[in-house]
Amino acid sequence: MGTAQTMQPGFLSIRSLTKRYDTMVAVDTLTLEIPKGELVAFLGPSGCGKSTSLRMIAGLCPVTSGTISIDGKDVTRLAPYRRDIGLVFQSYALFPHMTVLKNVMFGLEMRKVPVAEAERRAREAIALVRLEGREDRKPAQLSGGQQQRVALARALVIQPSILLFDEPLSNLDAKLRDEMRAEIRRIQKRLGITSIFVTHDQVEALSMCDKVAVLNGGRLEQIGTPGDLYERPATAFVASFVGRTNRLSGVAEGDRISVGGAALRAPGSRRGNVDLMVRPHRMIMTPAGDKGPDFDGEPLNSIGGEIRDVYYAGDILNYEIQAGDQIISVERATTGGETPMASGSPVTLTWRVADTLVFGAGQ
Amino acid sequence: MSAAAAATTQPANAAGERPGSGMASTVALATLLLGPIIAVNGLAFLMPVFNLLLLSFRESLGGSTIGEAYTLANWSSTLFDSYYIELIVQSILTSLMITALTLVASYPIALYLHRSKGRWRTFLLVLVISPLLTSAVVRTYGWIAILADDGLINNMLKAFGVEAMRLIFNKVGVVIGLTEILMPYMILALLAGFGRLDPRVEEAAETLGASPWKVFWRIVVPLTMPGVALGCLLSFVLAVSSFITPKLLGGGRVFLLATEIYDQAIVTLNWPLAATLSMIVLVIFGAALVLYSRLLRAVI
Repeated sequence: MGTAQTMQPGFLSIRSLTKRYDTMVAVDTLTLEIPKGELVAFLGPSGCGKSTSLRMIAGLCPVTSGTISIDGKDVTRLAPYRRDIGLVFQSYALFPHMTVLKNVMFGLEMRKVPVAEAERRAREAIALVRLEGREDRKPAQLSGGQQQRVALARALVIQPSILLFDEPLSNLDAKLRDEMRAEIRRIQKRLGITSIFVTHDQVEALSMCDKVAVLNGGRLEQIGTPGDLYERPATAFVASFVGRTNRLSGVAEGDRISVGGAALRAPGSRRGNVDLMVRPHRMIMTPAGDKGPDFDGEPLNSIGGEIRDVYYAGDILNYEIQAGDQIISVERATTGGETPMASGSPVTLTWRVADTLVFGAGQ
Repeated sequence: MSAAAAATTQPANAAGERPGSGMASTVALATLLLGPIIAVNGLAFLMPVFNLLLLSFRESLGGSTIGEAYTLANWSSTLFDSYYIELIVQSILTSLMITALTLVASYPIALYLHRSKGRWRTFLLVLVISPLLTSAVVRTYGWIAILADDGLINNMLKAFGVEAMRLIFNKVGVVIGLTEILMPYMILALLAGFGRLDPRVEEAAETLGASPWKVFWRIVVPLTMPGVALGCLLSFVLAVSSFITPKLLGGGRVFLLATEIYDQAIVTLNWPLAATLSMIVLVIFGAALVLYSRLLRAVI
């Protein structure tokens, strides 16, 4: 008996999916199960295989090996137009020679929905993305954000079994991006469509999605809720890619790790060279000699150092601390009116043992 | 936008973008830059055409002699003569047929070229353009070798025991020859008009449930219409005005406007009649241009 996830196949089930070009492996034995109605992000740096995976799910890119099944039906070799999948492109990919209404009706027309019904449903979808009144415009007469809304309506109106987003917000400016994130999330939840959202933006992935799959070099590093990923990263790559982190190298002996001169502790037990990671905002900085925070008596780590640089970023102050031969970055929320601690001041950094992540060296 | 229009507006734009120049000096500079082309076009193109128009109202006195008096005789003898009406209609129909065949033969090649990349694309493009580096006369003689009664095709047919066909010195030969000769122009025009094609847009149609056949007719064809319109205009104009290929492959049995103009001007030396027929060709071109701009406005 396995865990619930391996026992029960998801609505979208991807098994050992692989894409090989001549010598390069773009996607390497990707396996994951996505339950019905969930919004899952594929997150990773460019070239990690996230877009290729998405294109294979859509059928636009032939699969080298492995299987894709939707609702128990194997679609691995099915042509894209037989898959019943909606895809929203980064470049919108609207039909430039058709009006907004005709664009949205296209999928219904291909499904031989009677014209009157198709038009009614298309108008509903256009209303859903708040573009009423622009039905007769051509795509070139709309702004980037509006075009992406049309693309969304066009993909939604066919009521696809799976909705795929290929970096749909990358071409929009920051403010519009925030709006569209909320909009996509609202619509996806309301319609309950199983969706995959490809992005290289971790904030997007963490804030919008039920689960995040982190890909690197064509392999799945970890899939989990945003909280899992941030608090319990499975690999050093996930820890450093999702959120910011300090990386210290040390030598482990059981639960003791010596970093430079300091003796630290971490959950679990290991031996040999390790990388130790701590989030910048989880470290509390106090002037050397002062009494440090007590975190309700939880076991703590501390390390001494000297402030090397201070950066002011409005909402936070970012200190760079030299601790032995390591540089540690620490954040402090600004409160207004305080004087930043001066460069050269000796300080002590304190954090919970529980916030200390340890990975094998060189991972 | 036709290439010619784009080229003539270019200098004006370049002048307009010069910093610190006032409106008057911009106009002056534009006039200065456009001056040479206006002069050349006026002297070498508009003047002769105007002369031709005048000539079409002159009387032919036999041989190369042209009367002083103005007359409508040339126009009435072409526009109300069943021979010339038939000639005009046949010329237009044959040219339309050649244009259609050229389009059908060129479109797949242009689409393939548009989608190929790198060195392969360069190689194919050179291959497409290379016939233009050879004279139409030479290429026409090549077709004679292929289409003649004891040419390549008929010898092959005979080898398979099929009866030989008449492929030359008739309309079939002219259509085959001109189609091939016009293909490079058509392919280049199509390629120039394929800019709106986007593989992502085709993929979007596919994910929405369109089969490759539907994608082609609903997305690819409408998006390539600017190229199709330009290519057809160019091919039609070239087909109507070509006379070497119809002359050689028609063997004096295929009568078209261009060959008739050639005969009247060079053989019969009836210059006023040749001028009249030339003006009729010009009117046909004008009609083709109007049709083209209408079509372009409809598809964009």
